[in-house]
Parts: sequence; structure tokens; C-alpha cells
Amino acid sequence: MEVVGLISGGKDSCYNLMCAVKDGHKIVALANLHPPKNAESEELDSYMYQSVGADGVELYGKAMDIPLYRKEISGKPKNQNYDYEKTDGDEVEDLYELLVEVKKQHPNLKGVSAGAILSSYQKIRVEDICRRLDLTPICYLWEREQNELLAEMVDSGLDAILIKVAAIGLNEKHLGKTLGEMAPIMKNLQDKFGVHPCGEGGEFESFVRDCPLFKKSIVIDETEIVTHQDDPIAPVFYLRLKKMHLEDK
Amino acid sequence: MVNFTIDEIRALMDRKRNIRNMSVIAHVDHGKSTLTDSLVSKAGIIAGAKAGETRFTDTRKDEQERCITIKSTAISMFFELDKKDLDFVKGDAQVEVVEVDGKKDKFNGFLINLIDSPGHVDFSSEVTAALRVTDGALVVVDCVSGVCVQTETVLRQAIAERIKPILFMNKMDRALLELQLGAEELFQTFQRIVENINVIIATYGDDDGPMGAIMVDPSIGNVGFGSGLHGWAFTLKQFSEMYADKFGVQVDKLMKNLWGDRFFDLKTKKWSSTQTDDAKRGFCQFVLDPIFMVFDAIMNIKKDKTAALVEKLGIKLAADEKDLEGKPLMKAFMRKWLPAGDTMLQMITFHLPSPVTAQRYRMEMLYEGPHDDEAAVAIKNCDPNGPLMMYVSKMVPTSDKGRFYAFGRVFSGKVATGMKARIQGPNYIPGKKEDLYEKTIQRTILMMGRYIEPIDDIPSGNIAGLVGVDQYLVKGGTITTFKDAHNMRVMKFSVSPVVRVAVEAKNPADLPKLVEGLKRLAKSDPMVQCIFEESGEHIIAGAGELHLEICLKDLEEDHACIPLKKSDPVVSYRETVSNESNQICLSKSPNKHNRLHCTALPMPDGLADDIEGGTVNARDEFKARAKILAEKYNYDVTEARKIWCFGPDGTGPNLLFDVTKGVQYLNEIKDSVVAGFQWATREGVLADENMRGVRFNIHDVTLHADAIHRGGGQIIPTARRVFYASALTAEPRLLEPVYLVEIQCPEAAVGGIYGVLNRRRGHVFEESQVTGTPMFVVKAYLPVNESFGFTADLRSNTGGQAFPQCVFDHWQILPGDPLEAGTKPNQIVLDTRKRKGLKEGVPALDNYLDKM
Repeated sequence: MEVVGLISGGKDSCYNLMCAVKDGHKIVALANLHPPKNAESEELDSYMYQSVGADGVELYGKAMDIPLYRKEISGKPKNQNYDYEKTDGDEVEDLYELLVEVKKQHPNLKGVSAGAILSSYQKIRVEDICRRLDLTPICYLWEREQNELLAEMVDSGLDAILIKVAAIGLNEKHLGKTLGEMAPIMKNLQDKFGVHPCGEGGEFESFVRDCPLFKKSIVIDETEIVTHQDDPIAPVFYLRLKKMHLEDK
Repeated sequence: MVNFTIDEIRALMDRKRNIRNMSVIAHVDHGKSTLTDSLVSKAGIIAGAKAGETRFTDTRKDEQERCITIKSTAISMFFELDKKDLDFVKGDAQVEVVEVDGKKDKFNGFLINLIDSPGHVDFSSEVTAALRVTDGALVVVDCVSGVCVQTETVLRQAIAERIKPILFMNKMDRALLELQLGAEELFQTFQRIVENINVIIATYGDDDGPMGAIMVDPSIGNVGFGSGLHGWAFTLKQFSEMYADKFGVQVDKLMKNLWGDRFFDLKTKKWSSTQTDDAKRGFCQFVLDPIFMVFDAIMNIKKDKTAALVEKLGIKLAADEKDLEGKPLMKAFMRKWLPAGDTMLQMITFHLPSPVTAQRYRMEMLYEGPHDDEAAVAIKNCDPNGPLMMYVSKMVPTSDKGRFYAFGRVFSGKVATGMKARIQGPNYIPGKKEDLYEKTIQRTILMMGRYIEPIDDIPSGNIAGLVGVDQYLVKGGTITTFKDAHNMRVMKFSVSPVVRVAVEAKNPADLPKLVEGLKRLAKSDPMVQCIFEESGEHIIAGAGELHLEICLKDLEEDHACIPLKKSDPVVSYRETVSNESNQICLSKSPNKHNRLHCTALPMPDGLADDIEGGTVNARDEFKARAKILAEKYNYDVTEARKIWCFGPDGTGPNLLFDVTKGVQYLNEIKDSVVAGFQWATREGVLADENMRGVRFNIHDVTLHADAIHRGGGQIIPTARRVFYASALTAEPRLLEPVYLVEIQCPEAAVGGIYGVLNRRRGHVFEESQVTGTPMFVVKAYLPVNESFGFTADLRSNTGGQAFPQCVFDHWQILPGDPLEAGTKPNQIVLDTRKRKGLKEGVPALDNYLDKM
């Protein structure tokens, strides 16, 4: 069926698309929500969306050569309950509006690809919107064993680097590291503190530079480390992607 | 010439009612090791003539040179009690009954497992380890110096562990020869010591407690008198036996007349409780007078009188002894007349409990699991056919460098060479895999002072050594065959490792040897802590200067075998708070989706002590504990039931209270918050030192609705941050350790002591004369930080006449705000942070405190 890929620039949404293609689906569009351009900080601490790395998402559509639909996040995480029902002004409604737009452009659209692994919070919200739009959510990663999944991603040729860290045991020196480099570190932190190896609890965010679906790869030329929360115990840092370009593969 | 074989000992191990496990405890220099020699020589291990000089149980070269005991030493001995004395052994559980030729008879062979432990306060942890594996303690007191600070410390510990004490008044030769005390004076001295000991027993024990009456009383024979150095000793039983026939009364009845205010009228030949002109105190008349007579005859070389006494008392002197005179003759005479070994054997077998008696009331103190499970029942019954339960209390170095014997007590079952057992370290939690190994016991051994003897198996009630478990235990632990067994309770030490030094290898290439050496050192001493700081520093923490000195020497010469560089000693501090947090502190998780709201406040006075002392325990049943906290510390009883945990290490003197009201998912994050609390209390916000006496309240939490976003990675750091913020807003303070110093000296030296103490922020709180002597005892509090070089300073200021004993006593707040530049605590915080390689200066509050 024809699906739209919800993408954040991160590894999970990208790998889910790879799984969808392998399963015979056709990706007709990409959709992304990004923080307002004039926001004080690129990191919104949203409950739904990865906002760091939004600068790179623009290139993402070009790299895949698939139309990309984007919308500014205007809502706030108003309904923070476990379950969700339509709430005006919630950040989830931004996604609804974006998908309405995508559906208008691609009338045969049937499915929505989302990269949730364990976050019921996110999955429940995507499902709610799909139901309202009569679309089928497609989540290949749901409840996969995380260490295994991470290894599978690395093997699949998905090349992603860390662009945000926010958990005990992680700091600025882990920014820019590839998933392959991070896998043993995350395993160790999982054993010690119960950190989620795929960063599903918000421990880290990633940005995909290349994958088999990409026709061109993304080269990051210039970055800047931004301190989001300076604290001696579990500091939060992210990488601002300042300059990048596409390169033929 | 050992007069027993290992086979005999092994056979006796099965007769558990005829076993006595005992430790010898005392203040330093009161003559434990010397007295122990008397027993060892009776067992035939050392020659009788050498007893008193050999110090058999001091096995190390430095122990022999310094004449102090550093490590506790165990020795197993076999004795046969005179058949006629068997009636004095009271109780079914105290002696085996055997059937010989169809006739039931009490068995007179006894196995005594004796542990000689150090008297110097710096080595108190060795005493603790010794007490754990024994059931009775012989408390030795120098009758000239009386009850000293360490006597009290070790006796207190013994009672807390439910170890029954008996008393021995040592160095009577000094009282007679040096101080020339008269009979009545000597009686008063003895009586005062008995009273002092009983005051301590009454303070820390309970006569109605499970051990029964444990007061010491010469008239029942659990108090001995004598001279370990000269090898003679007696209890009132010995003298009663001499007179019993003459008076025609029973020995135990007569004993009551030989102590206290019982007077014998020579004219009326009647006993009374009041002194009349013709009456004389029983103890003086019938016990001391004969001894005085012997001393007078021999020391003043009255040959005729001496000969008459030899005849009358039936002393059989050897041929070469007959020509002696003066002190050597007196020694030989007294040793033949009142042999110390016999007296002590009687005291031990009559008055100390067998494992069967003792384990019945000790089980509940020893075992952490339910008191009715298989292991508990087996321990209680000292059942050799039950599951194996053994507690390893210390590690003893072997001649093979780097390897150790695991030394401990078998409480139930049997431990045997080649058997498979579970080795449970102190962090083992039933049902989990952490700190648990299943291994084969390579060999079981018997410890014999300087020697060890291999033995096939060792049944319950005995002390054992194991080969091949040392690499699985750091200092001690539980060995069992019962798969649901809980741990045996870890030991509480009366001293804390408050003094520390940093060490490094002189040659940096030796670093691996240093690290290996430190690991071995940590094993070989029950208390020393070897800490590897993140800054790369290697720290050794011990009880005091002497303890550290010995540890460093061992490290350099035995464990690492490399030249070392040592820093000056520094003190461990604790971090606390002096007020309630000025706000409810908020910290957000790294993903910003979880919030914790907390405050800190000081605990009431005494609660931290109670936690450290074990009165209030993390493992107590929570309702009973809440009741105590409510009654003693005025805590709200419903709040006190909601204590999440103690910390650091799950048992420390800080508490985490849940005072939230109806919060969703709270239980799910409990483990993570507890982990953050352990971390925060172990590494305080000021200088990474342990916290002490702080109560943290969790007021509210807001959590992400989805479990995945509130995992450990998010909550642990947040909890730690919010506790730091709470501490910083509650007027944090530093606590410094304070020693209780006891100094004995002649009057003339007292002035010098005050001078030295004043210069070192010390203050005297008691000064008294030791009755009957010209000696003074000064007691003072002295900050540990000021104690380095104190002994040397004191000696030089008193012409070498004052000898201090420093024992850790309490923590006190170091006045001043550690956050304010220029104060003393601030300087200490900065120095400590620098030493540990932490960021300079205490991190500002906004590092931990978030805005809504």
C-alpha cells in the first residue's frame, strides 16, 4: 500500500521505512514536524517529536527523492495522560493537520509509518490520528528487543550519529558517535542503570546520514555543541547541524 | 609435645555440648596474650616454663617485637576436666552424657576454641570479628589500672553480640609487689572492678534478656584472680575446696562467704554480715592472708617458713626449683599451688556457654532470614545434620602470598573438604544472583595459632578455616548449602575508618602491583577500606594512626612488595544539614518529562547513632520500627511507616521518607529514586563524603504517563540532583570525627596534658585518681584531625609519662558554613575536592534546582 513516512531525522523512523519497503509498501511521501523557526532553542522538550536535527530533515527528502511535507509545531503537550483523545491546542493535533494535508495530495494513501519501539504514549497518539483519518499505522519496531534491534540497524547499512544526549552516563563526548560505536556503551548503561539501549526513553536522539533508501548521502560539514542543561550528574547536550550537503553515492 | 592429636580434636567436635568457643578481650597491655599462654601450656603446646613469656598467639614478628597483639589468633585445644569437677558444669546443654558399660556418665573431655584478640583500640575490628565466632568472652582487667576505655568498648560489643562475659583480674603480682597493697585495700580494688564491669553489663545488657543473668560475681566463681605473667590464678572455688572439709560445708555455699561483706569471727567461729572486733572479712582471712603469707615468706627469704608452707600446702617442687629463692621461687611455688591453666579451664567450662546453649539465643541476632526457615531452625539447634550455615568473619593470610584462609564459625551442618557450597557475599539478596558463587571448598582446616592442620570436615558449633573461597569474598560472608538461605548478619564495628592516607608506587611501573596489593590488604583486615578514587588516587582508610601504620607496613612488605610514597594522614568527614530546606526543591529529568519535589532536614539527635549502632535497622519490621521512631524521636507514626530506605549502602544513617499523597506510578520509580538516594548519601554534595543524619522527604512527583520515559536512566540522576538541591538549601554542615582520649599518667604530668590538649582543640571532661595508686586518669574529647602526632607530642610534654588511648567516639559539627569562603569547613571542602580531583568549588544550587 501507499504509505507516508513520519520522519524525525532519527534512526527509528528511518529503519521502520526500510522495513516497510522490504515488506512491499510504497513510500509516497515523508512528513515531519519541526520547531518554530524563531524558537529560543531547537530543543522543545516535546513529548511527541524529536526536534533536534530538524535543520537536517530538509535534506532528507532530497536524499530519498520523495516529497517532504513539513509543518511547524504550534501546539503544546496539553494532554499528558497515558491515553489520548482529541485535544485542541495539543502538539498531537499538529500531526493531524499535517497528515490531512498529505492525504489531500496523495488520495491513495493508506498507511502511516512510525518508528515507535516502546513508547505507548507516542504510539497511542499516532493510532488515534490514524483512526480519525482512516489510515493504518505501520510499526515494525514495536516491542522489539532493543539490543538486537540496534545491532540489526547497524548491520542494515543505516548510518546514524548521536545528536543529543540526555541520560545518566552520557555526555558531550558521545555526540557525533555512530550507532555501532554506541551499542556497547548503551549495553553497559542498561546493565548499570536500566537505560534503554535504543534511547527510547529519550536518552539520546540520532540523525541518519545514510541508508539503503537514500539516493544521495548527507554529509555534515559543520556542527556546534549546545549545552541544554549543565548539571554535573546528567547533563543534556545536543549538536546543532550548521552546514551540510548531499553527495552522490 | 602436644598432648592431644587432631583425631582427638575431631572426635570432640561432634560432642557439641563439650565445646567452648571463647575470645579473650581486654584493654591494651592488660595481659591477654600472656594469660592465654597459661592455657596453651596446659594443652602442652608450649613448655610450661615458657608460659607467660612466649605469647604464643602473637604470631607476627612485629607483634613479638612491639609486645602488642595486632591480629586475632585462633587456637583449638583439648582438655580433660577432673571428674569431680563435672558437677559444677550446670545444665543439660553444657555437657555431653555418654554411656560406658551401660552406665551413664558425663563426658569430661572439652574442646576449647580460643581466640586471642588485640587490645589496642585501633584494632577493635579484629575483636569484633573474634566475638562473632565465639559464644563467651574472658574479659581481662589489669587490677592495678582497673577498667579502661577499651575494656568498656569491647565488653559493650560482646554484650551486643550476646557473648557471655567472665572476668579475670590480672597482674595481681604487681598489686602485691609494686604497690604493696594491704588485704582490705586489695579487696576494695577488686570489688570496685567487679562493680565497674557490672555497671557496663547493666548498661548495655539486660538481666532478663535471653542470655539470662550475665553479671560477674566472684562468689559464683566466674571471676578469676591471679597473674598471667607468673602463671598462677584462682577463683574462690579453689580456696573453698581447701576449707570445705574443715568447715564441713559444701564448696558452693562456702564460696558465698568468701566474697563481699561476710565476716568470720575467730572466737565464736561464726559467719556474720557485720564486722565486729574479732571478725575479719572472709576474702581477706581465707584467700588473701595465705597468699600474703606465701609472698612474705618467699620474698623476704624466710627459709623455715617457706619450707613449712611447701609442706603444708603439698607443693611438689622440682629438684632444681628447690634451690631457688626470691621471685623465681615465688613463681615456681605459686604456679604449682594455683596453676593458672587449671583455674581458667574451670572458669571456661563451668561458666561459658556451649554452642548448643548459645546458638539458641544468638540465632535471632545472627540470621537475617525468617526465624522459622530451615536454616534458622538448624542454627538454633546447632544441628550438624541440618543445612550448612557458616559465617566467615575474617581472612587470614597464608604463607602463599596473596591467598587467604577464610576463617569463621560453622553454625549448622558440616563443612567438608571437596563439598560444593554457596558463597554469599554481604550484598547478596536471596533470589538474586549478585554476590553469589557456587564453588567447591578445596580444603577445611583447623587453626592452631602459628600452625594449621588439615581436617576432613568440621561440624556445627566449631570454628573452621577454609581454603579456596578467598577469591569470592572480600572480607567475609555466608557459606551455605541451603539454596533459600538468607545471609548471616554482617558485623557492626565499634570504630570507624576515619583516618586515611593516599599511597602511590614510587616507581609508576609498579602500579599494577600496588592495586593488587591493596586488594589483598582489604581482605586481610576486617575493617580497612581501600578506595580507588576517580582522580586516580589510592586511599587507605583505617581506625587510627597505629592501624594505618601497620596496614601500610603490611602493604609495603607483604601485599604489594614495592616501595611506596605515602601522603600525610587526612580525616574522613561526613556531610549533614542543620536546618530544614528553605523551599521544596524541584528537579527535572534529563528529558524534562519527570519532576521530583523534595526537602532535607536534620534527624533528631541520637537517631544516627542508633542506626549506626544497629538499634534502628534497615531490616527491621517496618511497623515495629515506626513505633520506636515515634516513641523515641517523635516522628509521626504514619510517616515513619513510609521510610523508603536507609543510605548509603542501604543501611547508613540517612533516611528517605515518602510523604507524598496519592501519586500515580510512584512505586514504579521507587527503585530508581532509592538508587539515586544511595548515590547522593554516599557521595555528598559538598565534598563527595558520606552524608550523615539527614532525613529527606519526597513531597511530590510528576511523571511521564508512559513507563518508558520514566526509567532508571531518567529518574536516578534526577533523584540525585533533587537530594543535592535539598541538602544545599538546608544549611549544609560538615561533621568531623572526634576521639575519646584516655590518658593515664602521674599527677605531675597532668599539667602537660592540658597544654597539649588545648593546642589541639581538645577538651577534658573527666579527671580522676585511680584509687590506691598515684596514677591519674584524664578523659578528653579530641578531634581526630588534631590527633596526628598527638602521642609523640604528649610524651615529649610529659617527660614520656603519659600514654594516650584514642578511640573514635562521635561526630561533631565543625562550626561554620562550608559554602561561605574563608571558613574552616569551606577550606576543608575545597581541599577535599581538590584531592579527589573534583570540580573546584561546590557546584552552585542552580546546577541541581530547576524552575517549574
